Amino acid sequence: MNTRINTIILNCALVLGLASAAAQADTLLIKGGKVYTLANAGTLKSADVLVRDGHVEAVGAGLDAQADKVIDASGKIVTPGVIAADTLLGLTEIGAAMSTNDDAAVEGDNTKNVQIGTSYDPLPAYNPHSTLIPFNRAGGVTRAMVIPDSQQKIFAGRGFAIELNGDFDSVVGKNLVQRIYLGESGAQLAGGSRAVAYAQLRQALNEAREYAANRDAIRRGDWRDLQLPLSDLEALQPLVNGREVMLVKANRASDILQTIKLAQEFKLRLVIDGAAEGWMVAKQLAAAKVPVVIDAMDNLPIAFESLGARLDNAALLNRAGVQVLISGPPGSLATYNAYLARQGAGNAVANGMPYEAALKAISRNVAQVFGIDGGTIEPGAVADIVVWSGDPLEVTSYAEQVLIDGVPQSLVSRSTRLRDRYLTPQPGHEAAYKF
Amino acid sequence: MFLHARCFAAALCTAVLLAGCGGDERGDKGKALDFADQDAFPSTYTIPESKPVLIRGATLLTGTDEQLDNTDLLLADGKIARIGKGLKAPKDALVIDGHDKWVTPGIIDVHSHLGDYPAPAIESSQDGNEMTSPNTAEVWAEHSVWTQDPQFALALAGGVTTLQILPGSANLFGGRSVTLKNVPGRSVQDMKFPGAPYGLKMACGENPKRVYGSKGMAPSTRMGNVAGYRKAWIAAAAYKKKWEDYAKNGGEKPERDLQLETLAGVLDGLILVHNHCYRGEEMAVMMDIANEFGFHIAAFHHAVEAYKVADLLAKNHVCAAMWADWWGFKHEAFDMTPANIAIVDHAKACAMIHSDDAVGIQHLNQETAKAMTAGQRAGFDIQPKDAVKWMTLNPAKALGIDDQTGSLEKGKMADVVLWSGNPFSVYSKAEKVYIDGELMYDRDNKKRQPHSDFDLGILDAKGERP
Repeated sequence: MNTRINTIILNCALVLGLASAAAQADTLLIKGGKVYTLANAGTLKSADVLVRDGHVEAVGAGLDAQADKVIDASGKIVTPGVIAADTLLGLTEIGAAMSTNDDAAVEGDNTKNVQIGTSYDPLPAYNPHSTLIPFNRAGGVTRAMVIPDSQQKIFAGRGFAIELNGDFDSVVGKNLVQRIYLGESGAQLAGGSRAVAYAQLRQALNEAREYAANRDAIRRGDWRDLQLPLSDLEALQPLVNGREVMLVKANRASDILQTIKLAQEFKLRLVIDGAAEGWMVAKQLAAAKVPVVIDAMDNLPIAFESLGARLDNAALLNRAGVQVLISGPPGSLATYNAYLARQGAGNAVANGMPYEAALKAISRNVAQVFGIDGGTIEPGAVADIVVWSGDPLEVTSYAEQVLIDGVPQSLVSRSTRLRDRYLTPQPGHEAAYKF
Repeated sequence: MFLHARCFAAALCTAVLLAGCGGDERGDKGKALDFADQDAFPSTYTIPESKPVLIRGATLLTGTDEQLDNTDLLLADGKIARIGKGLKAPKDALVIDGHDKWVTPGIIDVHSHLGDYPAPAIESSQDGNEMTSPNTAEVWAEHSVWTQDPQFALALAGGVTTLQILPGSANLFGGRSVTLKNVPGRSVQDMKFPGAPYGLKMACGENPKRVYGSKGMAPSTRMGNVAGYRKAWIAAAAYKKKWEDYAKNGGEKPERDLQLETLAGVLDGLILVHNHCYRGEEMAVMMDIANEFGFHIAAFHHAVEAYKVADLLAKNHVCAAMWADWWGFKHEAFDMTPANIAIVDHAKACAMIHSDDAVGIQHLNQETAKAMTAGQRAGFDIQPKDAVKWMTLNPAKALGIDDQTGSLEKGKMADVVLWSGNPFSVYSKAEKVYIDGELMYDRDNKKRQPHSDFDLGILDAKGERP
């Protein structure tokens, strides 16, 4: 009914020539849902959320507010949008089709001596029109970290953050993180040993410091030869200054401890990625205030570095006071199906993680750790909000409304269009004319 | 599909019986041919005697489109003995309170590589893909199975009671599959599902043409793939005829050929074709090839585009094994809709979930739940009672064992999972898993949770892997 009244108001506005102001729907009211604010207000059994100009203005029961658009959320769950912790969104289209991938700098027959390491910045390759973006948006993902892979060096390069509205200006943070591989993958990239990978990292950090202290002399060429190119040394400055996150791939408990020591020595903002055996060193992670990005469904002893993988890893880490971020499924599916971070969080709850902690692990914690907006519903917060059909951590629930910056998003994707075209497949050529 | 599967099972039993009579030293004249070579590595799986089990007052999803609330289930002598209300417990029965709990048939994964791609996945353990020739129909997946793969026990804790181990998909003909009961065993024969038909793994599309094309040999295109299949079936038909002539007329005994034995076994209806195939039009081509050479495709696997040809699948009685939502990793997996399974089911084709994955196999209930929800959102009336067969009875059909397992029906194997709640909730867990009536996994009793040799002393000399 509210919608209808608003439509009438909108029509009047059109007549009065106020179309542009009204059509923007600068105020929007989400009424009567169970609201997980993931902020100080906690969980509100039945509350309204007032959104103005892309931000949350007020949250509370029975808000007495006029709004240009009203969303009835009674009987529904309202949460901040999911924020994917580790994806290649906008950098990949089809995993096995080389021409559609921009996730890593690759040295090959045609690209001898590609020297890009820490300075690899995939931002110019970012495509906000990727088909992966509407699909994940419809799954409730509103923001995502985009962090390159590496195929040749322990340094993958620098990551950025996007919002999933598909706009050309949808990058919401640049140079937020440097990905580094230690552990087994690091050993492979570095030349066969974990210790070599570790030494390469240490050397790079030392050179980055040396560069910071002697920048002019080094740029003049009036200095000893350094291993890293200037571009890489420059790219490492935000990392050694503590402005950028150092995301280090490590699964084995001993690798994690070694990495914590290094991060403390160089005063870096370390985040451990993987952490299959994180539970074994949860106390040390908590004491060093090092967050972890984990796949909460990883319980396979798939490598000797993750023999201790277990389903209650998230619960044990959280209990010890570690800030936990839950990513999507492993491998490339973390990008294609970034929205499945919800299923991971649900499994974390099934294995002992408190419910709200799991919600934060796919939303607020990601925003906090990488320093971007989103992840809470509180006055002043960016209005990335999802209205769910039911418990968002249940695999049988789905996003009914997705707001990014307060703007309701389309939930149509290639996937829904293919479904609708072939709902009752039959012979003949008519399907091709169905849109 | 029902009919087909039963025919195969019947043919198979005959073959086993004849082989059992054995000892025919006078030559093969007049003897039924066993191209599938059923008795070379026979199942040594045995069903131990176990006490009857009565589960009282649970919600039963039977796998035959029924949900029975507050109903009792009696397991006795390894079989499902009775289903009903207020059943009396036999004297020595273990009685389990099933109130607030749910029961389903044991989950069956029609597509697994456990044992062939075990954990840990180190170089020396990659035994699932004989990538040395486009046709390796002579290899048998069971001969790669590492029975101590710790992933079997994890799948069991997820309610999986039966699984098909397939060789990998690099080849047009990858080799034979084997169907296993998910029980610990020292030899793979200790795990073999007694009498289950063998499968032949075939692969369409990108994998074979990429693997061999990159070596500068055939196939390097999809048309090269098809030429390779047809060439092989021609050879198989000739081989089959040679042996049939020999059986009928005697004469010089033909030489055995392991590769052609497997293919002839397919033409004879003894071995079921499991065809890795993503795209709709390729599935149509494969069904034409099957018609050309007179065999039947039991199931397409990874059938991401099955929804586009669901009516053709129904018409040809071909099952489709699908993921709930995997996509994008290659071009032939680009056209994904999570409603895939529901659309195939709605078209009255045999639709099922599958994992191809050691994590996915542990959560096939959740995968099925996602597919069910996608079907509901597409507008189909699909409830848990309907969706459960996507992970139980339909995979049993594809494996040719649906007359023995896959549903809660009197006389079937007591392969049963007791769930802590609705199995389609992310929070529910398999509490007890029975295989042939024996309690193989008990979440509440650490002593009834199997650990492989690999798990022992691996983190702590005195302990098991958690």
